Amino acid sequence: MFKPHRVVLALLTLLVAIPLVVSAQAPDESTIVIAQSVDVGLLDPSAVASRAEANIFGHLYGTLYEISEDGSIKPYLAKSYTNSEDGKEWTFTLNEGLTCHDGEPLTAEDVAYSFERVANPDNKFTGNSAGFVLPAVGYVGARVEDDLNVTIITDRYQSIGLGLLSEVYIHCKDSYEKMTLEEAGQTPVGSGPYKFVEWVPDDHITLEKVEGFTLRETFFQTEIWRTIPEASTRVAELIAGNVDVIANVPPDQVEAVNASGTAAVQAVAGTRRMYVGFQFGENFKDAPGYEALQKKEVRVALQYAVDVPTICSTLLGTECERASSIVNKPNDNPNLSPYPYDPVKAGELLDAAGYPKDANGVRFETTLMGPRGRYLNDANVVQAIGQYLNDVGVKTTVDIRDWADYSQLTRPKEVGPMFFLGSGGGTWNALYDMADFSAPDSGVNYVNWPNPEWFKLWNSLSDIRDPAKEREVINQMLEIFYNDPPWLMLYFQPDFYGVSSRLDWQARRDEQIVVYNAKLK
Amino acid sequence: MSRYIARRLLQSIIVIIGVTLLSFLTLHLAGDPTYLYVSERASAKEIEETRIKLGFDKPLPIQYITFLGGLARGDLGMSIRSRQPALQMVMDRLPATLELTIFAMIISTLIAIPIGIISATKRGTSLDGGIMLIAMVGQSIPGFWLGIMLILSVGLQLRWLPISGHVAVFDPILEGNLNEAIANIPGALQHLILPGITIGLFSLARNARLVRSSMLEVLSQDYVTTARSKGLSERVIILKHAFRNALIPVVTMLGLEFGFLLSGVVVTETVFSWPGVGRLVTNAITQRDIPLVQAAVVVFAVMFIIINLLVDLVYAQLDPRIRLG
Amino acid sequence: MTPIAANPPIIAVSLSSPEISTWKRARRSLFKAKWPVLALIILSLVVFMAVFAAQISPKDPNRQNLIDRLKQPMQIDAKTGKIENFLGTDGLGRDLWTRIIYGAQVSLAVGVMAVVVGGLLGITLGIIAGYQGGRVDDIIMRLADIQLAFPFILLAIMVLVVLGPGVWNLIPVLGVGQWVTYARIARGQTISQREKEYVEAARSMGARDIRIMLQAILPNVLAPLIVIASFNVASAILAEASLSFLGLGVPPTVPTWGGILNESRDQILAGKWWPAFFPGLAIMLTVLAINIMGDWLRDFLDPRLRGRG
Repeated sequence: MFKPHRVVLALLTLLVAIPLVVSAQAPDESTIVIAQSVDVGLLDPSAVASRAEANIFGHLYGTLYEISEDGSIKPYLAKSYTNSEDGKEWTFTLNEGLTCHDGEPLTAEDVAYSFERVANPDNKFTGNSAGFVLPAVGYVGARVEDDLNVTIITDRYQSIGLGLLSEVYIHCKDSYEKMTLEEAGQTPVGSGPYKFVEWVPDDHITLEKVEGFTLRETFFQTEIWRTIPEASTRVAELIAGNVDVIANVPPDQVEAVNASGTAAVQAVAGTRRMYVGFQFGENFKDAPGYEALQKKEVRVALQYAVDVPTICSTLLGTECERASSIVNKPNDNPNLSPYPYDPVKAGELLDAAGYPKDANGVRFETTLMGPRGRYLNDANVVQAIGQYLNDVGVKTTVDIRDWADYSQLTRPKEVGPMFFLGSGGGTWNALYDMADFSAPDSGVNYVNWPNPEWFKLWNSLSDIRDPAKEREVINQMLEIFYNDPPWLMLYFQPDFYGVSSRLDWQARRDEQIVVYNAKLK
Repeated sequence: MSRYIARRLLQSIIVIIGVTLLSFLTLHLAGDPTYLYVSERASAKEIEETRIKLGFDKPLPIQYITFLGGLARGDLGMSIRSRQPALQMVMDRLPATLELTIFAMIISTLIAIPIGIISATKRGTSLDGGIMLIAMVGQSIPGFWLGIMLILSVGLQLRWLPISGHVAVFDPILEGNLNEAIANIPGALQHLILPGITIGLFSLARNARLVRSSMLEVLSQDYVTTARSKGLSERVIILKHAFRNALIPVVTMLGLEFGFLLSGVVVTETVFSWPGVGRLVTNAITQRDIPLVQAAVVVFAVMFIIINLLVDLVYAQLDPRIRLG
Repeated sequence: MTPIAANPPIIAVSLSSPEISTWKRARRSLFKAKWPVLALIILSLVVFMAVFAAQISPKDPNRQNLIDRLKQPMQIDAKTGKIENFLGTDGLGRDLWTRIIYGAQVSLAVGVMAVVVGGLLGITLGIIAGYQGGRVDDIIMRLADIQLAFPFILLAIMVLVVLGPGVWNLIPVLGVGQWVTYARIARGQTISQREKEYVEAARSMGARDIRIMLQAILPNVLAPLIVIASFNVASAILAEASLSFLGLGVPPTVPTWGGILNESRDQILAGKWWPAFFPGLAIMLTVLAINIMGDWLRDFLDPRLRGRG
């Protein structure tokens, strides 16, 4: 006989009963679980296109050299290198006895193949190696000298060449020749301390320790990289003890994590340079505020208008030092001190520049564009900057777009007259950071900054091989940047990592999550 | 009957061409997708080369005709981002979403029907009032907020249920691994409850109200009055006469429910880190992975068409007055 | 016949009584029931808040104060000794109460306008389809099928990704998501009205089609549509919240309930409950009130259910 009451009762009982048989979810002692906010697109070592992918590839693959936490460049798969007289050829000597995860010996031929595969136009690779590293070093080709020696040929000398070449993941020729491009993107055959086990898209990737890999000391047998897009869910999993390491803890949740007792937050001073760009491009000629912002004096005045330390301590949940240039410490110019927050001075300078307040208290109008969903608390930071600018009489309209939308505007340089952006940086070489301005029309010179002195000096750098002389020129350039600022200099983005208290692990400054050195306490 | 189905099929083809054209135009109006596929330091030359590599340099009509040609052959192209057959990717992710939507549909209908009947038979009492008020509240909560609250309360505070993630049941079945599927069921159910409630609560509430009002309507019909006057017990009346008729609106709703649950799926899968189609397709849209979006749109349209065909058939079974033709 | 899904039969109602007694009946029936009265009071308050936002709170909804961010509700300000922000402040130190009452403006406007857009589109197409029949009917119903087979959320995401978030982009998107419901009901009603004597009479007297549709048919199909419209206002308000979660609602500089709720979702775990609670409560109460009113309206307009429950 059908009794509606009983059906309801039975279902409710079921719903309550199932939880009672909950099995333990916490990872065991041989497994470390890391949660990232986005999944990888594909697992091809030649097509790395996001931080999330680079983190996993850093465990699957070795590189010739490696940029360590302190910014020094250390041997990895290669044990030494030489740079030719003209600086264009880099010859690496590999460690002996290396193998790829399918057992194939890793030799000079494989290194050459790893570069050639990226460069081959038929493969249609996009991403960091194909889209940035090879063009930036001016890649010409790779030459096998013998089994252990391989030469990478470039078209110019650069002091950042070695660091850039260290971003290319090395893999074996035979393993990859066997696979189609489609297969290669699904079943990576690595050369690093961990090997690939499985990938369930948007769920997790499992890696397993490679026995006999001697170049790195590893502690966990298994690494599970989960994808958890929602920040609150990620933090909840961390506190519940189901996840060991998470990135991007929202600043306001830091306290809750630290109070949990099961996990703590590590705040590190990141290397990403956050700034407000002043657009010099002709296509903004008629935009409000464009004319005012062309004046050096106005751009300097606005540096005083924004209270960066308060933005950091309130919206980013940490103290941060304001940037004095485009370059990360310790490679910056020590003689330059960050602009202080001084709205009165900002007002005076704007008066002097010919922009006094009108009857409504407005000096001039402009628009500040910014993204949402890309950088730490980005939409709020942009709104706060807008408020500060309004407070000194620059009537600012804030225009916030979703990141996918925004990124389509920055590349063709269709953002302005002011816009908020971050640019990934490094600790290992000032020039890496300064490469944002390699030419007035270069792809990443989003503001179209035309300063002729800067670019004259930049071009002179490729003739300088003496580090002290190079340093001198760099300091001179940073001074130019300081006095004719194309950016409203803000801060280096802090990064918040949530780390389980069972773990002995230190987060890095450069946004890379490297966990093979993590161990249990 | 076969003529009816043939005509429906023809209509379906028009529908599929319509939806793909709509999404194709929309995505291309969004501007040049090339920029999403180059490194943030790429130069103008590299960007131009990438544009040609990805085929975005060709005129739009040619790009769409190429797509239609592929569609006719059952080839929906390769995902730009993942270099995998787009259709295959959607089909791989479909089981997880189906687990979630079917679970949500089951709890929403199975709980809603008895609740609606109770409410209708106890019309005007405080029980009826209470149930209907709860149902109305259930219809007024934004999904993502409900999901986060469930995670923080049931998942984190009480530790009763897993916070996020997915245990597959359909996937092992499709791989022919029945034992694994059965072994996974308890874990799968645990992981399903919170996201299932997040998606299903709105439908549960709506269906309960729907059942109640259609029961009330049926109970006032002449034949029910006649049955009562013949001295049949209330329980027999409710089950034999009223229940069947009260189901009709619910079945009708199920057809429309699919599109509706799908809206919930996008949000719920994100909150609960559920590896389903909802996340796949939202990521595909933000990355302008046009072949992947098209594949998802085609799959959804086909499912919608099939489900509604089934609904119409069931509907005809339930209500003899309705003829298909 | 209806090609894909049939209309939910619950809505097949018509309003036939003369207007004056209708209003009298409405008043009587409304005040007999408790819930609808309460709902009406809530709705009136919300509308009042929205209309007189500037008078109710002198503050600027976008005025930030980073130092005073995330102040608790009812907290007494150390400097002034008064309660400055009685619902507290949000993550940028903006007054939450002010944002919620200004948010009411936008949220209600979005809900109502979306229904107006969807309603105009749907009713027009529905009446034309029902009245003309044949090829025109076929085309319109195919369009409806295409619309239905395209999950609303996908369409919304795509269009908003293209146009960018904003109130004026959101309204047509939400409206277009609704037109099929109105069109189907209007079409069904039109078909049943088309053969009625008064329409025949008008036609035989040589009245033009458009005139018949506007004067004879339109008033008779409106009643059931009003009920649907009221429910749709509620679901548009909820849809705005969902789209905000996906980053596609309105820009954060424009306060809406869904937007405020979404911006504050990280605060729940952080233990700062108020910025997510109050906008959530506003959405819930308003949607609840609209649904209760809609229910009452349906019972009232449906002669078969009148006087019961």
